[in-house]
Amino acid sequence: MVLLEYKELELLITRVREISGFDFSGYARPSLLRRASRYLTKHTMNLPELYIHIEQGGKAVYDFIQEMTVNYSEMFRDPDFFISVRSEILTYLESYPAIRLWIAGCASGEEAFSMAILLKEAGLFDRSLIYATDLSERVLSSAREGVFSLGHMRTFSENYMLAEGKNSLSDYYHVAYSKAVMDHNLRKNIVFSLHDLTGDGVFNEFQMVSCRNVMIYFNLEQRRKVFKLLYESLGMFGFLCLGKRETLRYSGFEENFRIINGHLNIYQKIK
Amino acid sequence: MTELNPNPLNLVLMGGSSGSFVIFEQIVKLATRPLSCAVIFVIHRGKSSLANLPHLFKAKTKVRMEEPEHLDPVVNDCIYFAVPDYHLLVGPDARFYLDDTDKDFFSRPSIDATFISAAQSGIKIRAAMLFSGASKDGASGLKLIAEKGFATYVQNPDFAEVPRMPAEAISQYGGHQILNEKNIFEEISSVLYSYST
Ligand SMILES: C[S@@+](CC[C@H](N)C(=O)[O-])C[C@H]1O[C@@H](n2cnc3c(N)ncnc32)[C@H](O)[C@@H]1O
Repeated sequence: MVLLEYKELELLITRVREISGFDFSGYARPSLLRRASRYLTKHTMNLPELYIHIEQGGKAVYDFIQEMTVNYSEMFRDPDFFISVRSEILTYLESYPAIRLWIAGCASGEEAFSMAILLKEAGLFDRSLIYATDLSERVLSSAREGVFSLGHMRTFSENYMLAEGKNSLSDYYHVAYSKAVMDHNLRKNIVFSLHDLTGDGVFNEFQMVSCRNVMIYFNLEQRRKVFKLLYESLGMFGFLCLGKRETLRYSGFEENFRIINGHLNIYQKIK
Repeated sequence: MTELNPNPLNLVLMGGSSGSFVIFEQIVKLATRPLSCAVIFVIHRGKSSLANLPHLFKAKTKVRMEEPEHLDPVVNDCIYFAVPDYHLLVGPDARFYLDDTDKDFFSRPSIDATFISAAQSGIKIRAAMLFSGASKDGASGLKLIAEKGFATYVQNPDFAEVPRMPAEAISQYGGHQILNEKNIFEEISSVLYSYST
């Protein structure tokens, strides 16, 4: 086991920024330390070797950044969240002539496709536009392809059933070369694009912003800034959805939202 | 002259897996008076475990119990339980950090994750302890804590319901103090209520 110290981590963050332009300074240090240590252990490297490796720039440093930011996702992850979106948010949004949703930190598109299916089953898809953003070009390009492994699809199907989906998940994809390819029709109203929550600003006004399992990566100060961005991106009475263990606590915006579901961390902007 | 904080934050860390739940329950019962430390329990539990441990143990102690949220401050006189499906890290800023990095030894929360983060946080660790369990999780974290000069304890594998976890800790590091069946709770009680400087 190779363990990095906090002092070493700070130097590494600086060097990564110089080489790649990617800035980890707003990220939670304890998690970064854990991940960097695991990276070294996994690749049987010590710190000097890591420096030599990332000095190559390009793919080497990019892969390192990728491993330091978790990209794990599932379709219909936390199925009860989707049940709640259906009953508490979509019923409200029904009255809107046009619905704009933002999935911030969308990984390979799992959540965006789930939302598309949910909207479709609620009969709202045709007047909805889903913006799905991430800072990783790599996960975005895989999201644009809409291709998932069949192994993962099995978990996703279970989630879909638990989320009380109306059909079978397999109604929304076809199998080609042993992969699941999401229907093109679903892709039609999803825009995948690059957006860095720590650097880029407001780009539209939304009725719903879902930023799940992303906040957990940021430190207190950065988190406040990201909350400000999400708050400003929401129209009045718009909904904010966070991950299972992500609350508004310490956000600075506790007063601006009312709780729709305290367990699933769904909030509505009220001022 | 600098005023010394009469009661600086210090941690007591407890890790365990199968067979540890009953011990944890007994330990919680030992907390009969306010604690001059923060006690952090990490027990392996399934991803969808809904059991809320503070709730389950409510009748056993008057000391405050919490399942910490991301960024909650770590304070003395509180008993914390790691939530399922996240690692619970202690930061140098004396806050908790939930972390969703891969599992260690098929476990999230992992005991090593908490122990190692605490050891690296620079916060004083009064004691760290490892109990019954079927995995190797916790052993390297406990070793690191011992190497930093803090007190470490391991349940005697001979009376652990599942000996693997404490046995692994002992095999990785010979210097842990051993908790034996006859006085385990007296020892733990004296750790909880020692006013070490
Ligand atoms: C664990 S995934 C969450 C995916 C999905 N929202 C879910 O809940 O399953 C976190 C994603 O956040 C992205 N991310 C991390 N930092 C980001 C930033 N500063 N701006 C935008 N996305 C970021 C990562 O690239 C990753 O794809």
